[in-house]
Amino acid sequence: MKVPELKSQYIWVFIFLLYLVPIFFPVGAPFQMSEITVEIYKYIDKLPPGSIVVIGGSSVFAFDLESSAALIPAIRQMARRGLRVVTAPFSVEAAQFERYAIDAARVDEKYGGPWKYGRDYVLLPYMPGADAAMVSFLTDVRSAVKTDVYGTPLDQLPLMKDFRNYKDIALWVCPHWAFPMVVRYATAERGIPSVYFAQAAAYASYTPYMMMYPGKVWMTNGFLGGAQYEKLEGMRGLGHAAIDTYTLVSAAYLIFIILGNIRMIASLREEEGGS
Amino acid sequence: MSKSLIYVRTYLVRFIIIVGLLSALASWYLVSPQVDTVFNELSIWNMMISTFTLFVGLLTVVSRYVTNITRRGAFWPYQIYALIIIIVWIIMGVTVGIYSDIYQTAFLSTKITLHIAILGQLIFFMVSGAYRVFRMRNLRTALFAICAASVATLNSPWLLGVFPEADKISFWLLNNPAMAGQRALVISGAIGGLFLGFRLLFGLEKGALRVTEA
Repeated sequence: MKVPELKSQYIWVFIFLLYLVPIFFPVGAPFQMSEITVEIYKYIDKLPPGSIVVIGGSSVFAFDLESSAALIPAIRQMARRGLRVVTAPFSVEAAQFERYAIDAARVDEKYGGPWKYGRDYVLLPYMPGADAAMVSFLTDVRSAVKTDVYGTPLDQLPLMKDFRNYKDIALWVCPHWAFPMVVRYATAERGIPSVYFAQAAAYASYTPYMMMYPGKVWMTNGFLGGAQYEKLEGMRGLGHAAIDTYTLVSAAYLIFIILGNIRMIASLREEEGGS
Repeated sequence: MSKSLIYVRTYLVRFIIIVGLLSALASWYLVSPQVDTVFNELSIWNMMISTFTLFVGLLTVVSRYVTNITRRGAFWPYQIYALIIIIVWIIMGVTVGIYSDIYQTAFLSTKITLHIAILGQLIFFMVSGAYRVFRMRNLRTALFAICAASVATLNSPWLLGVFPEADKISFWLLNNPAMAGQRALVISGAIGGLFLGFRLLFGLEKGALRVTEA
């Protein structure tokens, strides 16, 4: 049997069609709940109201978007539980990303949510200096940053009156690629528990941290982790939307590897037959 | 090249590298506020120099683009477009601030959307590449293909739905063989970096720091 070599363009069109299918016909692909995601959810649920959670780290917005699938429902959960959030961006786009996630969670009073800016959450500006800035921030917040993103001095914000240094942080949530700096300075050196809403590729690299710091470090896995968190929080967002496509494309990925091998075997037989 | 310039390039640069490296290493291994202060101060210097180089980069790009545009060189229309975009973003950032609502909206609607679109395109190339590359011609290519297929399969919701244990297999693979490989890379990279540093500082690495131009 002659097996044709597929042109790249045909494969691209096929994948494009796979992208379109869930848009018009939502598959509602089932997915397994992860025990770790449930642990994270329960841990945040048990934090006393008023606890300060820092959402921070550093990376590039587009890379971090995958994290927003889990971060947005987590922010909703934090708002519902009466927790308070301070953002700590150590890269330029991290500041924009953290703000985007809080806006997208629709937890501010202007969206009918329970949070009021300054009282329940504060957006800090980009703190340059990478690791040095993070150490400075943990040691003394005011030595790293003096105002919020709007230029308001920190002491004029009610929330920041209760936030001086790392001892006031109940949990560090990292939605950015640069998770090692959070593990090193926040968890390993200062004992702050940390949650990483990891991108699937980063999850593959950083899972050993969960073995190294059991009960202190937790991670979700890409859009799948996002969908799991959305399910726990009772909402459907980016995670659920991505899972349908992910299900179809991951199956296609495997099918094309098999097709490639069938094509190779067929061509070897053709060569043998011809010689 | 003048002798004084060679001297500066050879010794002053090495001295700066040694001070920078030692302060970073000392702040990592020693618990000392004084050492931390020195390292933090040097980090701030480093940050300021990086900021300065941003301006140098901006001026260089503008200078090269303007020259090319006036000559109607290759891709000059794109360079006009790039210059306009650079100027618009600088004006917007300086006037309304990078944390204003309008800047955030503009940023999300342009740079971020385009960047995400570029990342989204990768799947087209990945599937097409998998079809062509993961052909099991021998043991090595078979291992390569099986590793790639297992990563994709063990993470896929359709498998996890019917075979939840796949999650545990994936976790074990990541925590053991994958971690061993990654650590081997990191450790060998660090050792290589250390020796390269020594070679640079002792002038054994030919061409480094322009020493051989003397």
